[in-house]
Amino acid sequence: MYCVRNVTDDLYWIGANDRRLALFENIHPIPRGVSYNAYVLTDEKTVLFDTADWSACRQFLENLEHVLAGRSLDYMVINHMEPDHGASLEEVLLRYPDVTVISTAKAFMLMRQFGFHIDGHPLDEVKEGDTRCFGKHTVTFVAAPMVHWPEAMVTFDVTNGVLFAADAFGSFGALDGRLFNDEVNFDRDWIDDARRYYTNIVGKYGPHVQLLLKKAGAIVDKIKYICPLHGPVWRSDFGYLIDKYQHWSTYEPEEKGVMIAYASMYGNTEAAANALASKLCEKGMTNVAVYDVSNTHVSYLISETFRLSHVVLASVTYNLGIYPVMHNYLMDMKALNLQKRTFAIVENGSWACRSGDLMEKFIQEELKGMTVLGSRLSLASSLQAEKAGELDALADAILESMEEEKK
Amino acid sequence: MYFKTTDAHEAFRKQIRRFAEAEVKPQAFMMDQNNEFPAEAVKKMAEMNLMGIPYPKEYGGAGLDVMSYAIAVEELARVDGGTGVILSAHVSLGSWPIFQYGTEEQKQKYLVPLARGEKIGAFGLTEPNAGSDAGGTETTAVLKGDYYLLNGGKIFITNAPKADTYVVFAVTTPDIGTKGISAFIVEKGYEGFEFGDHYDKMGIRSSSTAELIFNDVKVPKENLLGKEGEGFKIAMATLDGGRIGIASQALGIAQGAFENALEYSKERVQFGRPICRQQIVSFKLADMATKLRCARMLVYSAAELKEHHEPYAMEAAMAKQYASDIALEVTNDALQIFGGSGYLKGMEVERAYRDAKITTIYEGTNEIQRVVIAANLIGKMPKSPSASKAAGQKKPAVTGLRKKMIFKGGSAQERVDSLVESLRKDGYDFTVGIDIDTPIAQAERVVSAGKGIGAKENMALIEKLAAAAGAAVGSSRPVAETLKYVPMNRYVGMSGQKFTGNLYIACGISGASQHLKGIRDAATIVAINKNANAPIFKNCDYGIVGDVMEILPLLAAALDTGEPKSPAPVPMIKMKRPAPPKPEPVGKSYVCSGCGYVYDPDLGDEDGEVMPGTLFEKLPDEWVCPECGEEKEQFIEEA
Repeated sequence: MYCVRNVTDDLYWIGANDRRLALFENIHPIPRGVSYNAYVLTDEKTVLFDTADWSACRQFLENLEHVLAGRSLDYMVINHMEPDHGASLEEVLLRYPDVTVISTAKAFMLMRQFGFHIDGHPLDEVKEGDTRCFGKHTVTFVAAPMVHWPEAMVTFDVTNGVLFAADAFGSFGALDGRLFNDEVNFDRDWIDDARRYYTNIVGKYGPHVQLLLKKAGAIVDKIKYICPLHGPVWRSDFGYLIDKYQHWSTYEPEEKGVMIAYASMYGNTEAAANALASKLCEKGMTNVAVYDVSNTHVSYLISETFRLSHVVLASVTYNLGIYPVMHNYLMDMKALNLQKRTFAIVENGSWACRSGDLMEKFIQEELKGMTVLGSRLSLASSLQAEKAGELDALADAILESMEEEKK
Repeated sequence: MYFKTTDAHEAFRKQIRRFAEAEVKPQAFMMDQNNEFPAEAVKKMAEMNLMGIPYPKEYGGAGLDVMSYAIAVEELARVDGGTGVILSAHVSLGSWPIFQYGTEEQKQKYLVPLARGEKIGAFGLTEPNAGSDAGGTETTAVLKGDYYLLNGGKIFITNAPKADTYVVFAVTTPDIGTKGISAFIVEKGYEGFEFGDHYDKMGIRSSSTAELIFNDVKVPKENLLGKEGEGFKIAMATLDGGRIGIASQALGIAQGAFENALEYSKERVQFGRPICRQQIVSFKLADMATKLRCARMLVYSAAELKEHHEPYAMEAAMAKQYASDIALEVTNDALQIFGGSGYLKGMEVERAYRDAKITTIYEGTNEIQRVVIAANLIGKMPKSPSASKAAGQKKPAVTGLRKKMIFKGGSAQERVDSLVESLRKDGYDFTVGIDIDTPIAQAERVVSAGKGIGAKENMALIEKLAAAAGAAVGSSRPVAETLKYVPMNRYVGMSGQKFTGNLYIACGISGASQHLKGIRDAATIVAINKNANAPIFKNCDYGIVGDVMEILPLLAAALDTGEPKSPAPVPMIKMKRPAPPKPEPVGKSYVCSGCGYVYDPDLGDEDGEVMPGTLFEKLPDEWVCPECGEEKEQFIEEA
């Protein structure tokens, strides 16, 4: 059975949901599933915008056939050639051999590299600023390199104001029939997955997202719909979404708040993390989130680190080094170019405590634009009552640095 | 492009020349003879609004361009090299750093009177061990709450002691080289700020030059110029601009000598005709004129670049280097044309010949100018481990950056006296104190015992010293845990109590890493130990190598005021230790649009044989992304 939705007039969503996949890109858990969005325009010519993952291919083809209703497919625009969108491309070519593929030079190169047999079919290589007319509708292409692959572009339909945004503005999470942002409570049910998607998939490429946002800024009043390749279609409240992207791509925190990420073997470092969290709340800072790095997938840690202004790293010493899971979290921060956070350190060690020095060194030398607060809480095995003063001083130092940032 | 000054510039030149000829030239010989500052002329320059030529009118300046300033220095130097540098040092060195880096309050308080010419400015960077290499700066500024305590001295300071306002550079974070230097505005008349003798110089004798001496000078905190650690950057940027001034001065000195020689060569007749008709003299004049034109083009173009906010450091260095090099050649040739007459005192060329020499030396020797130019061509020297070691950038100790002043010389009493004097100088007041049982975490001062204290009865020495110093008693871990001299909550260390107060006196403590980590936040660490190689000495501010049995009683006696201590302020006033500033990147990073690779100029591109320190803009056009092969144009600036 087909499963489609009308986006506007002659534009249809023909994507599919996947709730079986455990790990997106075989790394990030997606308990709420994911959608692969594709769109068809039925103008004088018929135009398909992107395809779907192999797992969703059957549903996607059925949807395509239904919307075309016996017409042939004239054009296929490939905005992004990553296999979660491009994998079904060859199946489309087999069924509609006369279709003209419109894409960028680099995308054509990737299609060949991935082993798709495109040569022999009509190919139309486009670059920034080119336009194509399909009857009523004229579209223009805008290069979006490194958001988050080099071949990516976005396509803007100047006739109806639809922006086919590729992976920009996408989110984890399957669509429960509810396609549009105004059909869901985005700020309650979606923002965490949208943030986790952006920060882990696109996070590293802030400068290139900024470049794309600047280009989009020029046409923002003409945009009526934002059609991403994952997650809901946006047709209102663009300011909310752009503001989030502005924060994320400039690595500015969204909120004043403290994330406490702890690595604890027997619960003693955990106890210190809990004590600190309570202390912060007692002193009035209640925007606090505590995570066990061993039991929290790093994609969630990264997402929360993008959200909050302050991070407390509490780690045991392990083989005279940083606890491996904590180390992995730090390395992921580096890989994703995370910047402009204030760190406080809690270290623990039963005979030779090294984790604090090593974490501080990593933050200072490997990460950009980070501040490490001078007050550090050092534990020998566990937090004892005599350390109450130090715990207090650490909480004060965090609050004080929030005050200073306000100035 | 039309290589010519505007009519307005030439009209301005005429005005300055008229003034210089009328007011400076007649005095020049006397001032040179008597080593005398042209106070009257400088006053008139202020009336003519020349003391703030390139600064906006709202700050008391004339609102003219950099070129006008260069012309003014050139015209003054044309008749008297010394008067030229008075203006140059005042405008470029004394005023510009305040204009560029000052807060609005600093500008209102200091720049306005400088630009109006009501006050004279000067710049204090050079020291006996820090000339071309500012990393050797030894003058220190220590933050003491509301003020910095300035100690040390500066040499060869132009306009001193006549100047009223001094931009002075001092070390605020020791041991990290140029990154630890900060800039301050210091007023003449601050207590403890004195001047050495006026130097008896070879040339530019109308310009006053003296030594600055700082002895516990309290500089208000708000007189810090820029941020802590920015001093070197400020000094270098100031000297970039100052070079245009010195280049103009050199040009003016040479121009004056040339004009005198040209005139003389037309009057002096030998072999039946003026000597300018002798080919050898005429060729000399031709060469002099060519060099002058060449220097003038360099100076004016650097001034124009600066005026239009384009990079000009290399061009200013070229102008300074070339103009001063040819100033020596031109004044030499001019004197040669004058022959024996030119060798006499009172002759302008004789004075110009002496005046010219300084221009290849000050505000960056011409050797340093070539370093600056070469660095712009090739990139800065890579930060090799050996080079940074040479610059004194060692890995800081466990307790961070410390003074590590060990008192070795003299008797035990003398060493103890030196220590107490240093502590008092740092602001410790031993008429106040805290209770001996104050918990370590809340203590402002702690006297701590290590295993070196020996038998238990020696703890009496510790208690006596603690009472005299107004401190609480602490210990190392073994003294509490193994020897049980004090309760467990008295031992200081990472695993025990952390000391975060001001003064920590470690007695017989060798300095295990976990102990040192517990005193990282101490403002001042004093070490007393008989083993000179104990790690504590690498982690202390002051140290005495000696037996605790001998030193502790002497120290207790020296600190004892004979009266009971009044209570120290609650909460304690923490003395701030400056955090070492982070090294600034050489330049902006750029991201590849083909793969996300980041070109970081600090690292360069080893495989592409691009040296560390090479700016992205300076990469050769044929350079491509080392990861994906995209061309340079496909890179975007990292925000």
